[in-house]
Amino acid sequence: MEFVFGALSVIAIAGAVGVITLKQPVHSGVSFIATVVALAGLFALLSATFLFMVQIILYAGAVITLILFVIMVLNVQASHLPDEKGQGKALVLGAVCLAPLVALGMRGFNTLGSEKLVVLGEGFGGIHGLGMALFKDWVLPFELISLLLLAALVGAVVLLKKERV
Amino acid sequence: MMSVQGVALVALVLFCIGFLGVVSRKNIFVVYLSIELMLNGVNLLLVGLSRYHEGSDGQVIALLIIAIAAAEAAVFLALIVTLVKHRRTLNIDRFNTLRPKGTR
Repeated sequence: MEFVFGALSVIAIAGAVGVITLKQPVHSGVSFIATVVALAGLFALLSATFLFMVQIILYAGAVITLILFVIMVLNVQASHLPDEKGQGKALVLGAVCLAPLVALGMRGFNTLGSEKLVVLGEGFGGIHGLGMALFKDWVLPFELISLLLLAALVGAVVLLKKERV
Repeated sequence: MMSVQGVALVALVLFCIGFLGVVSRKNIFVVYLSIELMLNGVNLLLVGLSRYHEGSDGQVIALLIIAIAAAEAAVFLALIVTLVKHRRTLNIDRFNTLRPKGTR
């Protein structure tokens, strides 16, 4: 269990580093797949079985496919790629901005318990418990999300509509 | 260390990598993927805390975040296609239509 957790974490972080360091957008997309699949495995280890399935089907299946499809449709040439020379300064500046967040995270980190987590078996994180919680306590956010998805659908159609001159 | 602390550490590292990607890259696709990385880091933290407290609320929030990320993917990719059609580049510094004249 420990070994699986460590391996999945390393894969997820390595994929994330690949996303922000590789030059070609297609390579970034492929490393993002590694991160998403490793995170799905971590969800399974944390006994969130339904979210594991959603992550595989929705992220690895739909969102990543859409991203790679768009990258390939746009037919990115080497001449389209921006010149990214001055990354060092931006990285240092970003690290300075992140320092307070990391300090806060470390303070919260020490309040968490360090006992080992084992995989729960009695239906925790399955579709039944999640559905009960979603439709009892979270029904308003759920409805608002449906509105948001409708707005996103309309927005995507409007953006990609051919302009009639 | 398969504890909630280990999970929180991985989630924080993922979030920080995503943030650094947003501020340091100029390729609009990589910026979008970095935003997704930040969302995924937060999702991992929520699922870990949900397992730690043995309640379902964290997982429900993570599910809502995944739905929002899917909506964001649709709009963001449509926006990228439109911008690239008009500007013929992926460089985010070139997408400056809303910037007032004479700045930078």
